[in-house]
Amino acid sequence: MQWHVVTESFGYLLAGARATLLLSATALLTGTGLGIVWGMLRVLPVPTLQRFMVGVIDGVRAVPLLLQMFFIFFGLPAVGVQMPVFVSAALAMTLWMAANLAEVMRGAVESIQRGQFEAGYSSGLGYAQVMRWIILPQALRRMLPPYVGLCTILIKDTSLAAIIGVFELTRAAQETIERTFRSFELYLTIGAMYFVLCFALTLLSRALERRVGEPDRILTH
Amino acid sequence: MLCGLVVGLALALASQLRWAPARWAVAVYVDIIRNTPLLIQIFFIYFGLPLVLVKLPAFASGLLALTLYSAAYNAEVFRAGLEAVPNGQREAARSAGLSGWQQMRYVVLPQAVRIAFPALGNNLVSLVKNSSLVSAIGMVELMFVANDISFNNFRSFEIYGAAMIYYVIIILALSRALALVERRVVARAAI
Repeated sequence: MQWHVVTESFGYLLAGARATLLLSATALLTGTGLGIVWGMLRVLPVPTLQRFMVGVIDGVRAVPLLLQMFFIFFGLPAVGVQMPVFVSAALAMTLWMAANLAEVMRGAVESIQRGQFEAGYSSGLGYAQVMRWIILPQALRRMLPPYVGLCTILIKDTSLAAIIGVFELTRAAQETIERTFRSFELYLTIGAMYFVLCFALTLLSRALERRVGEPDRILTH
Repeated sequence: MLCGLVVGLALALASQLRWAPARWAVAVYVDIIRNTPLLIQIFFIYFGLPLVLVKLPAFASGLLALTLYSAAYNAEVFRAGLEAVPNGQREAARSAGLSGWQQMRYVVLPQAVRIAFPALGNNLVSLVKNSSLVSAIGMVELMFVANDISFNNFRSFEIYGAAMIYYVIIILALSRALALVERRVVARAAI
């Protein structure tokens, strides 16, 4: 074993980790915004719109993230839509986050008892008011632990962006390996770096779960 | 998937043992696997292990990585299922004179599997999607075939578009089938 390879290239790996965090943060912000919009549209009581949103959400969720990245980065230029590689990766991850968050939101809203809606309507509130003052405050609390879980998965999945050529932690390791051939030490090291990032979020999610008092929700990964 | 199920179940059973080191080992394993990217695990097994241990062929590496990965997720699901079976069931089984193993085998496990079924189905769907990552080390599989074709004839839009449609069909068909089986399993549990 030659651990000095890791210490010598650690600065480079840290630069990669920063890029990973930047990509995660970008996709997280845009994905959360879009996900909230999709989630709201998904639970609106308009049957046609609901069916349409189910199509969109299920469609995105059924395709592997890697394939979406390939399609956006290599496929779309063929029809004249060309984007830099970072934007392509961020866009694919945004769609992924939005679809999964919309599902989490639907689950949370549907888990609120019907009586809450009925009580709201019978006290003279409209749909928007019932949502804003009664349903969402409860649903958001229930959404929090699975949301943090999604963030963990998002950070893990930024590693896929390396395959289409985004510079981030995995790419930084691959480049170092091409130079040094010490794949064992380097993959172990960046595995540990991902672990530190993700495990912190996992612990946060567990703490939130205990506070919210909901049973463990098992998410897609 | 089959390997992942078996290993996952074994891990979950180990997490129920009274011997604390076994429980810790399972918890550490599950946390490590679930908090590192699958891609890194695949690369580590295929590119990293040959430097210190053995060189596995691409197919075996992919299979091993997917097994270890899905085992960790399945172990969590089985554990949740086992813990969701009310304690009274165990106590009743013990008063009926069953041994620890018999309680597990005939009373607790059948109920736990039924409880865990929907979540196991989700894991199966994820596994099918995650198999696309194995293409990164060049195993022949739907994703890799699409890659290969598109590099040969540059019709990347159509090829990746078609690959996406295949995935949607496979995944939606799988989800529907799982929902059907789930309904029957739940119906049987009700009787």
